[in-house]
Amino acid sequence: MTDQSPIAPADGSEPGPAARQPTRSTSEIVTRFVAANFTDALPYILVPVLFILSVIFIPGYFSKLSIISLLILASLLGLASLGQTVTIIAGGIDLSIPAVIGLSDIILTQLYYKHWSLPVIFLLIAVAAIVIGTISAVSSVLLHVHSLITSFGMSLVVSGVALEWSNGAVNGAVPGWLTSSVSAIGHTGPIPIPAIIFVWAVASVLAVAFLRLTRVGRETYALGANPVAARLARVRSTWTLVVAFAISALCAAMVGVFFAGYSGIPDPTVGVPYFFLTITAVLIGGTSLLGGRGGYQRTVMGALIVAELTTLLVGVGFSASFQELALGILVIALTSTYGRELKVAAKI
Amino acid sequence: MSSADEASRLVMEDLSRSFGETRALNAATLRVRPSEIHSLVGENGSGKSTLIKILSGVLRPDSGTLVWEGEARHLGSPRSAQGMGIATVFQETLIVPEMTVRDNIYLGTDGLFRYGHRKGDEIAGARQALSDLGMDGLDLDRPMWTLSLAERQLTTVARAIIRPWRLLVLDEATSALDAQQRDCLFDYLRLARSQGRSVLFTSHRMDEVLGLADRITVLRQGATVATMGASEASRRGILGHMSGHEAHADAVVVAETEPRRGAAVQQSPRRPVLRVAELTLRAASKPISVEVKAGEILGLAGLEGQGQVGFVECLCGLRRPVDGQVLALGDNGETHIVRSYRGANRLGIRYVPRDRRYEGLFGPLSVFDNFAITLWGDLNRLGVLKRQQARKSFAGFAESSRLVSASPNRAISILSGGNQQKVLLGRWIAMRPRVLVVNDPLRGVDHNTKEELYGLFRGLATDGVAIIFLSTEIAELLTLTDQIAVFHEGSLVAMLPTEMSSDTDVVAAMFGDDKQHGSADD
Repeated sequence: MTDQSPIAPADGSEPGPAARQPTRSTSEIVTRFVAANFTDALPYILVPVLFILSVIFIPGYFSKLSIISLLILASLLGLASLGQTVTIIAGGIDLSIPAVIGLSDIILTQLYYKHWSLPVIFLLIAVAAIVIGTISAVSSVLLHVHSLITSFGMSLVVSGVALEWSNGAVNGAVPGWLTSSVSAIGHTGPIPIPAIIFVWAVASVLAVAFLRLTRVGRETYALGANPVAARLARVRSTWTLVVAFAISALCAAMVGVFFAGYSGIPDPTVGVPYFFLTITAVLIGGTSLLGGRGGYQRTVMGALIVAELTTLLVGVGFSASFQELALGILVIALTSTYGRELKVAAKI
Repeated sequence: MSSADEASRLVMEDLSRSFGETRALNAATLRVRPSEIHSLVGENGSGKSTLIKILSGVLRPDSGTLVWEGEARHLGSPRSAQGMGIATVFQETLIVPEMTVRDNIYLGTDGLFRYGHRKGDEIAGARQALSDLGMDGLDLDRPMWTLSLAERQLTTVARAIIRPWRLLVLDEATSALDAQQRDCLFDYLRLARSQGRSVLFTSHRMDEVLGLADRITVLRQGATVATMGASEASRRGILGHMSGHEAHADAVVVAETEPRRGAAVQQSPRRPVLRVAELTLRAASKPISVEVKAGEILGLAGLEGQGQVGFVECLCGLRRPVDGQVLALGDNGETHIVRSYRGANRLGIRYVPRDRRYEGLFGPLSVFDNFAITLWGDLNRLGVLKRQQARKSFAGFAESSRLVSASPNRAISILSGGNQQKVLLGRWIAMRPRVLVVNDPLRGVDHNTKEELYGLFRGLATDGVAIIFLSTEIAELLTLTDQIAVFHEGSLVAMLPTEMSSDTDVVAAMFGDDKQHGSADD
């Protein structure tokens, strides 16, 4: 996947300004070109590099089973970060993702245990997600507060509901095919690859297309880049934010369903690590928290990097606390080079 | 040092200061004597505020000297200016709304861990300062936000005068005051003068300048063009200095090479497309009634904060007038009231805002995305963009406007100001506006691009678009418009046909001078 998005910041990809000045040597042009493009390309370079490091350092890593395990991990994070990418590009942030994952997990395991029909359960989960996302977005617009606050409030409400509902419940059930869809040995029809990986692939293509080729997608960038100018340019600010947060909640709900399949038991706190992990994946990919910059293709790389790094560190024997430390350093290191790239662009 | 300098308390010479490409001050000179009330006058952007900010230590000059009471000084900070005895009241009413009147008056006098004054002294000092300014009854414990704008403005003056000062600088400090409050302030200033202190003030009211000042310094385009005694100055004389004969000559040359647009409109009478009916901008201002025809370019002029910006915002539905209506007139004579920004847009009234960066541009987005954002509402099929059509529309616009851009996919932030402005205009031109409302669109645009944009506006007018063109540059208005509406204190005070007007006429109207009064003075 390349990053020649029409919204890509000035990346100096055209040698135009340099070529116009004949005094510049070829090596200088090459240096400038690399400097301007390197940070943009960094996530795409890190993905294979980390993979090769894992193969070198973890004995027996290069196997189908471990690659599929890695992709399942990345798929769960990638799907949860899909909506986060959209809300961040729109200039917001969704802190209710873990809560929605938990609620969706509870709804599925509890209602399936009570023999509700699956389509009804899925419809219910989808409606709940859309309502949650809409409330976060609309209250942010109406109350003139950042979605950081409204989505955090929604997060408390939703996790409260999930905890109350599941209070004491240890019994839950999920359909067998769902468990198989997130199992490393699962099949999708005759293909020996679990379904979640295909779901993520399709969702990725749709998300990139949505952001680039639809009206709401373009308006998402405009809103995040400059909300005042967006209003004056007749961008549908409220609608755009509602769509972003509804997508985010729907993705989180989908991840909750997969998590239910993963463990088979009700757990309202299953999404908790995703509070920071989704933001980490978005930032490592290179979508800016400032809004209006980035894209989902970058977050795909971000999710892969997080999954790879986690696997690598576990494989080499580092503790969970050391994994967090490493992720933190990576976020700071990468985002600081993204910041520099903007300054380089300003000079050209 | 000449004897004139020895007699001066303050001598500033050859002051220059640039902001990027803009030269705000260009070798300006100012001399203020002891026991003198000195007025600094000039049009918007002539460098008054920059000079005052340098004098108060807020800005540092790029070059130039400052001699204070016979000693060469460098002003590093507002504190060092205060230490020398220069107290400044700025144009913006700088207050902390949640703090009390007393705390606002003594703002900045406390140390980090100790109070600067004892409470009793503070109360007595604040009472004295307020009573000097005619506000004896004001409760010192009231929070600042409960005060009227005039009271707030006087409180900022009180903050300046509680400090021991020998030069008081007032930058438009009377704009919100009523006649009685102003008289009271002026009495205080005259008293201070009689005690040997100096006052430097700027004002948009010519009667204040002539009534209060002993001497007047005129700035134009960052340079001092004249300093004169108030007794020997006339309104016309000052206005002539402010507008400048060179600028006038420029406008004439332009008019000769490119015929003014007025003639073309008169040849074919056009339909009115916009009617402003009894629009009242402020409670005390006169209602405004104007009609704008298709193909007409109406210029709006006025000093800072005289209502012209509010007028523009009413036209495009961003602001509700106190009273009256804005009506869009359809092709068949039907009328629609403009009630909201959305409604105005639906009626074909399109607005290009003043502040490109904060109100117009999507910085990280590409040139093409910045252009096309308004088009997607029409150019989509079930929400999926019709990019081909938008690309075509962009290519056409880029060619006709001579847009200079390496590629439509580059970020718009790397374009020059003028080319950014073209894209922002193109955004609405592509939507075929009936009325295009532009708020100071050529600010910070270089000369050549300006000429190209003039051409763009003229072309639009020829195509029948009515253009409302607000500008702070009079030469610009004289070059481009058919009529100039001049605002003063929230009212439309003059409607000048461009062909028969000089920049002195416009400046006179901006200062609330009606023509008869002005010619009587000559």
